Amino acid sequence: MAALSAAIAMDVRVSSSARLGRGVLILAAISVLVGLLVLPLMAIFAEAFRRGLAFYLNAVREPETIAAIRLTLTVAAIAVPLNLVFGLAAAWAMTHFQFPGKALLGALIDLPFSVSPVVAGMMLILVYGKYGWLGAWLESHGIQIIFALPSLVLATVFVTLPFVARELIPLMQAQGSEQEEAALTLGASGWQIFFRVTLPRVRWALLYGVLLCNARAMGEFGAVYVVSGHLRGITNTLPLQVDQLYEENFSAAFAVASLLALLTVLTLAIKRLLEWRHGDHLNAGH
Amino acid sequence: MAIEISRLRRQFGQHVALDDLNLTIAEGEFVAVLGPSGSGKTSLLRILAGLDHPDAGTVEREGEDLLALDARRRGVGLVFQHYALFPHMTVAQNVAFGLRVRPWGLRPRAAAIKARVQELLKRVELDGFAGRYPAQLSGGQRQRVALARALAIEPTLLLLDEPFGALDAQVRGNLRRWLRELHRSLGITTLFVTHDQDEALEMADRVVVMNRGRIEQIGTPEQIHRYPATPFASRFIARSQVLSGYLEDKVIHVLGRSWPLEHDGIDPTLAIAVHVRPEDIVPVCHQDEGWSARLLSVRHVAGTARVALHVSGLDEPLDAVWTERDWLRHGVAVGERINVHFQTLTVFAEGGEGRLHARIDVHPPHATSPVTVGPWRRLEA
Repeated sequence: MAALSAAIAMDVRVSSSARLGRGVLILAAISVLVGLLVLPLMAIFAEAFRRGLAFYLNAVREPETIAAIRLTLTVAAIAVPLNLVFGLAAAWAMTHFQFPGKALLGALIDLPFSVSPVVAGMMLILVYGKYGWLGAWLESHGIQIIFALPSLVLATVFVTLPFVARELIPLMQAQGSEQEEAALTLGASGWQIFFRVTLPRVRWALLYGVLLCNARAMGEFGAVYVVSGHLRGITNTLPLQVDQLYEENFSAAFAVASLLALLTVLTLAIKRLLEWRHGDHLNAGH
Repeated sequence: MAIEISRLRRQFGQHVALDDLNLTIAEGEFVAVLGPSGSGKTSLLRILAGLDHPDAGTVEREGEDLLALDARRRGVGLVFQHYALFPHMTVAQNVAFGLRVRPWGLRPRAAAIKARVQELLKRVELDGFAGRYPAQLSGGQRQRVALARALAIEPTLLLLDEPFGALDAQVRGNLRRWLRELHRSLGITTLFVTHDQDEALEMADRVVVMNRGRIEQIGTPEQIHRYPATPFASRFIARSQVLSGYLEDKVIHVLGRSWPLEHDGIDPTLAIAVHVRPEDIVPVCHQDEGWSARLLSVRHVAGTARVALHVSGLDEPLDAVWTERDWLRHGVAVGERINVHFQTLTVFAEGGEGRLHARIDVHPPHATSPVTVGPWRRLEA
């Protein structure tokens, strides 16, 4: 009897301390999120609208800002599809084939995550710049890469390279290749297998990877900073424009920054919406 | 269609998955390839399906070189152990897949595909399930969808990889009988691999016993079970246990008892392995008869008494299967002594390097019966 009541008392103690621990952990997580994400995000919007809506709209409608938005969208529109194709191909190769250099490919895919974006930009200048390895040849053929759109695209492709591949590889590894093999024995061609079996199975991971890739492509600063040349209205992307405005016109900088933040929030919202709309298929597909 | 496999060899690094394999499958035959995991049976299946390629050897289908054909043009239906259904397609779309991916000229019209899918679903008894997704089906239903999908391409050879491995016992039993019937009505040459001997013996016309990339024995279920050709087949199929014994001057010694044994022409220097099946270890009444044993445990399963015995001279316990009637007549309390008789022993004569020279069924002498010896069966080594 005494042992039983002791056991019950201990059980109560364990469960109350577990409840305490859970509360502390939840509180810690929430305070970190609020302190690092929510408050700063709110601060951006508060600062952006501090001088009123008219000022905000004027700052955003500035021709140079409009040009920066257009450039950012153009760069993302080129870089994201490139990485979509590359990510799919790399993930397919990594999970379906055995080949020499496979480990090296895996390491290379991760390289942009570990290299500082500034270094990435410098590498591009070393290769494609006026005094770079290919500089003379490019100049003699009238091709300008550095301080122009091509370098912005290259820098963005470089830093966003891992997103799609890294989303797909674990999923494709877990799924194995039995379904592809089944499709093959049923007479499907390589393209038919890809579009009818493989792609539908990874579409949500692919979409998620593309969204992340896009968010990073639009927000990239370091690598683009090095190769752009900061020509206002010509080679300034949104993040560079924010940086320059920050030196001159504090509130305008925040107005433009809020646009970037808005893009991020929009990306997340699209992702949530898709998950909510197609949650069943998302689960059934895995 | 008839399939002729000759000298098939497949090696993965140091591991030999298939070692000069020869096998002929007759038109419409239902053949089971039975072996433990790692015996090479799945490698054989993948090579026949075109998902893997042998290092050497040929496979012919009615004289046509099957290996020269790409997997997608082979017309070989493959059913995977874990079904490999397409989760984003309905049952009907899964079954129709093989028809829909055909090139323009060969693709049936949509109405024809629909009719064919209906017919196949009826065949596998899933008429009402066309619109469901695989996730909404039970294991047995998924397996039947996988079968219908493979049948849709009208394969000339049907391959089944551990088809019931992932199902529970009752569903498995029903599906076995059902698949046997289906095969009878379709007559498609079928090869299925399994590690489950009951499954192989119950379903197949012919059983191929494989071990370490080699075929140990080919025969009807009865032959395989009654006359296992090799020590491996004897242990794996008949669940035989190994007793210690030796041959000396035409006298065989097994666990302390000895009796004369005819073995003319068999090299007396050969080592012998003595095997006994669980059902051939029977209890006897008289104290001075047979071998003395101690009862270690008894379990009553499906109308039989599964008995574990300790026989002196043998370290491992021996498993015996008795009828409940025998148990009621002779059973003793756990820990007590009981005399048992080995009704039939199978003796394998082995030379060096595990080469098998001969096998013989031996019936140890009984108090009331004279010495009996079965005919020697010489084996091609």
